[in-house]
Amino acid sequence: MSLRAERRIDLAAFSSGILLIVLYIFLYAPIFYVIYTSFAADIVWPFPPSFSTSSYQDLFASSLYAKALSNSLILGLGTAVLSTVLATGGAIGLLRYRNRWRGTAFFLFLAPLFVADLLIGISTLAFNSRVLGLPGNIYSAIAANSIPGTSFAFLIILSQVVRYDWAMDEAAMVFGAGPFRCFAEITLPTIWPSVLGAFLISFILAFNNLEISFYNLGAIPTLPSVAWGSLRFGLGPELFALAALVNFAVFIIFAVMYVLMRYQIVSFGYRGR
Amino acid sequence: MSGLEERRRWLSIARHPGARFAFLVAPGALFILIALVLPLLSIVVFSFWRTQSYELYADWNLNNYRALLGEPAYRIFFLRSLFTAAIVSFVSLAIAWPVAYLIAKHGGRYRLLLVLLLAAPFFTGVILRITALQGLFGPIGVINMALNMFGMGPIGVLMYTQFAAGIGLVYLYVPFMITAIYLSLVNFNFELLEVAKINGAHPWRAFIEITWPLNWIGTVIGLVLVFIPCLASAVTQRFLGGPQATSFGMSLSLQFGETGTWALGSAMGVFLFLASLIVILAAGRSINLKRSGFTGALDR
Repeated sequence: MSLRAERRIDLAAFSSGILLIVLYIFLYAPIFYVIYTSFAADIVWPFPPSFSTSSYQDLFASSLYAKALSNSLILGLGTAVLSTVLATGGAIGLLRYRNRWRGTAFFLFLAPLFVADLLIGISTLAFNSRVLGLPGNIYSAIAANSIPGTSFAFLIILSQVVRYDWAMDEAAMVFGAGPFRCFAEITLPTIWPSVLGAFLISFILAFNNLEISFYNLGAIPTLPSVAWGSLRFGLGPELFALAALVNFAVFIIFAVMYVLMRYQIVSFGYRGR
Repeated sequence: MSGLEERRRWLSIARHPGARFAFLVAPGALFILIALVLPLLSIVVFSFWRTQSYELYADWNLNNYRALLGEPAYRIFFLRSLFTAAIVSFVSLAIAWPVAYLIAKHGGRYRLLLVLLLAAPFFTGVILRITALQGLFGPIGVINMALNMFGMGPIGVLMYTQFAAGIGLVYLYVPFMITAIYLSLVNFNFELLEVAKINGAHPWRAFIEITWPLNWIGTVIGLVLVFIPCLASAVTQRFLGGPQATSFGMSLSLQFGETGTWALGSAMGVFLFLASLIVILAAGRSINLKRSGFTGALDR
């Protein structure tokens, strides 16, 4: 029985390996299409191939895209910082201390996952403009994007803090460390991979968010709102060039991460299990 | 001297576990209360108001709900969105489980990288990715052009149909499902499977009786993370779905955009929220914390 079972497990691992590869191809095919098209002379009819860098020249000639990119970066960074700080505090507080508000707080931290982006977008727009009388700007967009951002960050950090051994903190306290020192020297060095993951995910989700940002940004351009605005006349080739450059930067970051992992310079929380 | 006393008094407050809990948890909880719950309540209020030429008027009425429930078009849009969301969720589930399992079990030191690779496509905006999918599937897209070259006709079902919109939604949301199941599986003790094997359980039986129930919370969160945005989705259907795929979300965003009927839009938002809530409660009821492997963490 055991030999046949072994073989079946291998077969299962093998076929899910194939599925994994097919999935990555499926996920990245549109990305490669965008990169390919950014070098085509005509983005609507990119076949047969015709090489051209005109979309990159247009990109650098226009100031709108630089502004949109920097706004997207500010939006992403602001959201990531706010979400990660709120979620780290929430995850540690909720798992460490018993409190009668725990259930309510737990529910609140997870609630945004159950509300669609579109609904967050329209309700914050309605609230800001009709109740508070505030116009949309980058701050309202950061706040609105941080709603789901905090939830995702919370979920990611929670999944690692669950395994955290609080006896380590108590040991540090016994030796006289204050709570902040204890967090900085014991807790954070242990859970930082999930904090980094939470930061990255909330950044990525806000950076290119369409449905929340669209209703909260007012007239401030970000990458998705420029894309949305240009749809009426067909997507500008500059957008393809810009997306290709962003992906190139992402690729470099991932390559660096791979090297760090390959040579075990940084293990990102992996402890050989 | 009083400065020192003051300091001591503050320290004793700060040492109190309740104060520490409040310091850590309250900012996030209050933020969500103010930024999410209050706006949602405000659209509940607006849904009973009236809009006239882009302005909201506070005369209370039920006309928005009457229109929403009476007009067959909205019912069709909603049922269509519901059906699409259900199918997309289950397809995503079928794809996500083996992939998440493989990454969690065999990903080794590259696990985090493999998961982040699922998130990296999000660096390219939704609109661009959907346009690219259109470029791959559409009448002049790569697939149909290639088929044409080999003398075959185009695959009609990929061009501006609900099926194409469904593929687009799976494309956009399957990474969320994989991440949710993965986060559950990394906390799963795989040694339990060894124990089951030693005791003579078939791998499938071990999966059904151990792995699946112990990771059910992750699966439910994944299903919710896919179902909720799919139920509300507007952009994907708009670009990939063709004329027959108008979704509830499309109609909803129209009320806040071109037509400017905010009161009706608010009613649609409330309806959408209630529909999501029913699904979440149904999913939540299926969670048995005692069998989730999560109890230890929550009962500390």
